[in-house]
This record gives sequence, structure tokens and C-alpha cells, in this order.
Amino acid sequence: MDETAPVGERGGIARRAGGHIMLGLLGLLCVFPIYWLYATSLRAPQDVYELSVLPWPLSLDSYADAMAKNDVAGMLLNTAIVAVLSALGQLLIGLLAAYAFAAWRFPLQRPLYLLFVGTWLVPFQATMLPNYALLGQLGLLETLAGVIIPTLCSTLGVLLLREHLMSFPKELLDAARMDGRSAWGILWTVVVPTLRPVLAALGILLAITAWNEYFWPAMVLQRSNAVIQLGLRSFMGTEGNDWGPLMATAGLACLPVFALYLFLQRHIVNAFVRSGLK
Amino acid sequence: MRKAVSRIRLQRLTRRFGSVTAVDAVSLDVADGEFLVLLGPSGCGKSTLLRMIAGLLAPTEGRVLLGDADITDVPPRRRDLAMVFQSYALYPHLSVARNIGFPLRARGWSRAAIREKVAEVAAALDLTELLDRRPRELSGGQRQRVALGRALVRDPGAFLMDEPLSNLDAALRAGTRAEISALHKRLGATVVYVTHDQVEAMTMATRIALLDKGRLEQVGTPAEVYDEPASVFVARFLGSPAMNLIDATVAATAAGLAARAREVELPLGIDAETPERPVVLGVRPEHLAIAGQGAEGGIRAVVEAVENLGSEEVAHCRAGEARVSVRGPRPLGLRDGDRVRLTARPEHLHLFDADSGRRLAWRPAPVTTPA
Ligand SMILES: Nc1ncnc2c1ncn2[C@@H]1O[C@H](COP(=O)(O)OP(=O)(O)OP(=O)(O)O)[C@@H](O)[C@H]1O
Ligand SMILES: [Mg+2]
Repeated sequence: MDETAPVGERGGIARRAGGHIMLGLLGLLCVFPIYWLYATSLRAPQDVYELSVLPWPLSLDSYADAMAKNDVAGMLLNTAIVAVLSALGQLLIGLLAAYAFAAWRFPLQRPLYLLFVGTWLVPFQATMLPNYALLGQLGLLETLAGVIIPTLCSTLGVLLLREHLMSFPKELLDAARMDGRSAWGILWTVVVPTLRPVLAALGILLAITAWNEYFWPAMVLQRSNAVIQLGLRSFMGTEGNDWGPLMATAGLACLPVFALYLFLQRHIVNAFVRSGLK
Repeated sequence: MRKAVSRIRLQRLTRRFGSVTAVDAVSLDVADGEFLVLLGPSGCGKSTLLRMIAGLLAPTEGRVLLGDADITDVPPRRRDLAMVFQSYALYPHLSVARNIGFPLRARGWSRAAIREKVAEVAAALDLTELLDRRPRELSGGQRQRVALGRALVRDPGAFLMDEPLSNLDAALRAGTRAEISALHKRLGATVVYVTHDQVEAMTMATRIALLDKGRLEQVGTPAEVYDEPASVFVARFLGSPAMNLIDATVAATAAGLAARAREVELPLGIDAETPERPVVLGVRPEHLAIAGQGAEGGIRAVVEAVENLGSEEVAHCRAGEARVSVRGPRPLGLRDGDRVRLTARPEHLHLFDADSGRRLAWRPAPVTTPA
């Protein structure tokens, strides 16, 4: 038996095994579609509709096909640019706004903050057309800048960072002021380094969201398939989908997200657990 | 290397938060090299006052002067004051060395100069071994020393400390108290030190400023505030157990003036006449002596409980409506239920005005010659 279990928490072996089996099944259920995506992408083109659990013989034909029909590498690069710039922009703006709202006093602070939070309630569909028209006037349609700029101000980022900054010890800010830092200096030498895990987690979340975005890029980039999620639609036709290359492209599109997540999973979980507890 | 002028003057400094007046027209002159302790109960405005001196909080009214300069509107980073916080406020992401060097980095010192100065301060505070650790890897006492080091490293005009010892356990507190006192003596620096602990105040201060509800009650050396409390508040706040305070009347008797209450008659040692007036009579527990039953006057009391403090004993008694405690070497020779008569020498009696609570002093009426 588990010697470290708290008194009264030593459930029977059967009960604990049951719990693990349950969780295992749920886990499988979640992972299965992703497995199927990669399995399909690795089948030979004629086997795409096979239902065998193991794809055999393995073949990279679908990947080659996808690369031949689309500039997949270029798309991945463009998507990465959009994701990184959008995430960094949102982080920067969110950080500055949250710092002002949480650490400093100024007139109308509360009403301004409420107004700001209120914009979260305005649905994307309501701002979509005005944004589109504005981009048209600015000549930014069909450009990556047009995809990025309207996403830069993220209410979510401001909200989350403000919550963290509110629980940030005020004496630390006071100490830095006494030690000779200006407001700007305090932000970069004390606040940002202390909030690094939170910033990393939020950055990843925002980057993944931007990476996976389909609808807004589809509006701005109507004539080209500059980002990967748009590239996927070129394999979907009226006379049926070209499943092999579609799955291969989708598989490639998922890889950076998985990599980021695996690499920084601990960060993300930590940051959100902590923000929940404080 | 001491700076010539680090005298701090406060002129009618006031801070209101909405309808609450946290600090009420405090005027105070802290001389160069002085160790001034701001003492008072929780919520009396000590931290607020200190934060106004630091520049972290703008006063509603009044001025702050450092040396001859009016610094009321000068931001903290240009005030040449260092502060030690109750929570220590160490930067969690920086090593001890970088925490101590932080104020120097903010002032643009070179790396080499910073390293040298940090090493010097760390050696003085016995932190050399810990320079590479993070704050969370330190004990409470070590953190406290790092916070002290961060203040010392700048050679500031004056130090401001807000209850720097309140997070330490009793033994460490006593040790650190002595260390800070020694540091003050060695540097000759001006210190404004906030605490609600009377032992800290009495042992460390060159002068104590007592605050009550934002008002300055009394400023004086530890001996002055203890021996001649300016008000009932000060009398009650300093001393353990607190001074006995009895509602009484001053009246003339055959043997001169005396303070009287039920079961109480203590001669004041003043041979004069005065109309009767209500007062609060104060006498410290250690100044009461147990007298024989036969004699006249004094406080006739019944012992209700006896407390053993080790070297001393405190007997809690009742005399009429008043509670009176007596303190003396152990054993006092008293038991619950004993009847005792307590006396005190006239110079150990304190009289306060019954309405204002201010200290009363006897001044013979001047002989007025008609003009
Ligand atoms: N930012 C603020 N907003 C409103 N009221 C405040 C604020 N800061 C302090 N006060 C009030 O001012 C009064 C004095 O507070 P202060 O913190 O100076 O007390 P203190 O003497 O330091 O007490 P303690 O020993 O508990 O630290 C208190 O009544 C407090 O509620
Ligand atoms: Mg305080």
C-alpha cells in the first residue's frame, strides 16, 4: 500500500484500478482522432479509406502530394509569422494595459477598465465587417499585416495579466521605486521577470489561437492560401475531399502546436493553476 | 562616508483617505544621526507617515524637508532615502547579490563597482556565503539581512524601516535588534523606524514619537516618554503591565494635596490649596509598595490574582472600582484574597486631566501684584 497516502485515503486496490481504467479510456477517446489523422496521412494513396488500425504499408506519398500541390513550407512560415507577431503584439499591449490598470492610479481608472472588459462581450461577428471595411480603406486586404493588426488588442490578455498583477506584492513595486527605478524601469526589471511564467503561458496560448485561426484569415486573404489553415481548403472540393494530402497538411499544421505544448506544458499548467488559486 | 545633512523635518503633514484622517498635522524634526522610532497601536498611521516621508504616498497637506530642501514633490527615486519593508520585498527572480546591487544598477554604476560594493556590504552583514541564492532559499532572518543590505548599499541620506523585525521569531528579533542598533551607531545614520512593539522602541530609539489615531501624542527620549507620559494614551501604551489609571479627585487635606478615590488616598507631596478637581491618577505597577496594615492612606486593595513572571511577580488587585496591579521581585508574599495596603512616593504619581487626558503639572500660582 501507499505509505504516504493520508489517513483514511487508502482506497481498495479494485477501486483505484477502476479509476485508472476509466481515465485511461477517456484519454484514448481524446487521442484517437489525432491518431487517425496521422494514420490516414501515412497510408498509401489507394489505402486512404482503409479502416485497419495500423497504417500498413507506410507511405509518405500523401506528404509529397501535398507539397507538390501547395507551397506548404511557405504557408507554414507565413502562419508562423502571423502567430508570433500576433502573440507578441497582444502580449505587449496586454502587459502595458494591465500594468497601468493594476499598478497605477489615474482618473477614471475603474470606468475605463469596465469599458475595456465590456469589449470582450462584443462578438467577433459584430466587429468583423467594420474591420474588413477599414482594412480595405487602408489597403491591407490580401496582406499578412491585415490578418495580424486587428487581433493585436486582446481583452483576454489584459484581463489575465491584470489579475496576476493585482496579486503582485505592492511592496515590491514600492521597493523598486525607492531603489531608483522609474515606472518604465520597474515594468522591465521587476514585473516582467517575475511574471515570466505567466507571460510564457499566455504567449503560447495566443500563438496557438492565432495559428489555428481560420475564419478571419479566410476573409482577409480571399485570393491566396497564404496561411496553412487556408491551404487545407484547397484539398476540399465539390466532388469530394482529397483525404491523403489533406490529412498530411493538417498533420504538419498540428506539429508546431504539439511541439510548443509538449515543450512548455508545465509552464502553461502552472500559470493557469496559479491564476486560479490566487 | 557620511553625508552632511540628513535631517528630516515634517511640517503639519496630513493624509486623508476619503473621510479617514490617517495622519493628522504631524510636525516632527528628526535630527541628523538620530534613531527616531514611530510607535503606536495598529492603524494609528505609522506606515502612512513613513510612506509620505519616502515619497510613496503624496500628503494631503504639509511639507517634508530633507536637509534644507523641500522634497514634498520629489519622486522617491530622487530622495536619497532607503527603505526596509515589513515583507522585505526582495525581488524573487534575482540572486542575493543582484538584490543588493539593484539600487546601484538603477543608478547606472559599473559592473565592477557594483560587485565591489556588494561584496563589502555582504561581508558586513555576514551574507557572503549566500550571494548566489534566491530569496526563497533563505530563512527569515537571512532575508531580513538582505533587505538591510539593499538599503545599506546606497549610503543613503537616511533609512526608513517599517516594522522590519515583525516577521522574525522572538530570539532572532532580540539579536537583530542589537545588530541594527550597532549598525546605527557605526554609521551614525539617520533612521526613522516604525514599530508597534514598545520593547523595540525603548531599546533602540534615541527618541520615540508616539502616534494615536494619526496624531502625535508625545516625542521624547525613551526615559522621558516612560517617566513623564504626556497623556493617558502614552501612559497606557508604554509599560507592561500598563500603568494603573484610577479616576480620582484632587483635594486639599491636612497633609497637603492628595488624590482621592474610593479606597484610595495618596498624598501628592504638595503643600498648597486648590479647588477640588477630577483627575486620572496614574502610578506604575513597579512603583507601588506593599505597606503594613496599620498605617493610614494609600490604596486599600484585595488581591485577585498573582502572576509569576519568573524573576518577578505581578499581583492584580481591586480597590473600589479600580483595578490595580503591583509588580515586584518574587515572591511578593501575596495570595488571592489577601487585603493589602499599597503606597507610592509622590514623585511617582502622575496626574492627567479627566477630560483631555493630558498630563497635569503643578505650578504654584505666581504672586500677582496689582498694576
Ligand atoms: N490606501 C488606503 N486607503 C484607505 N485607507 C487607508 C489606506 N492606507 C491606510 N489607510 C487607513 O489609514 C489608517 C492608518 O493606516 P496605517 O497603515 O498607516 O497604520 P499603521 O499604523 O501602519 O498600522 P499597522 O501597525 O497595522 O501597520 C488606517 O485606519 C487605515 O485603514
Ligand atoms: Mg503599518
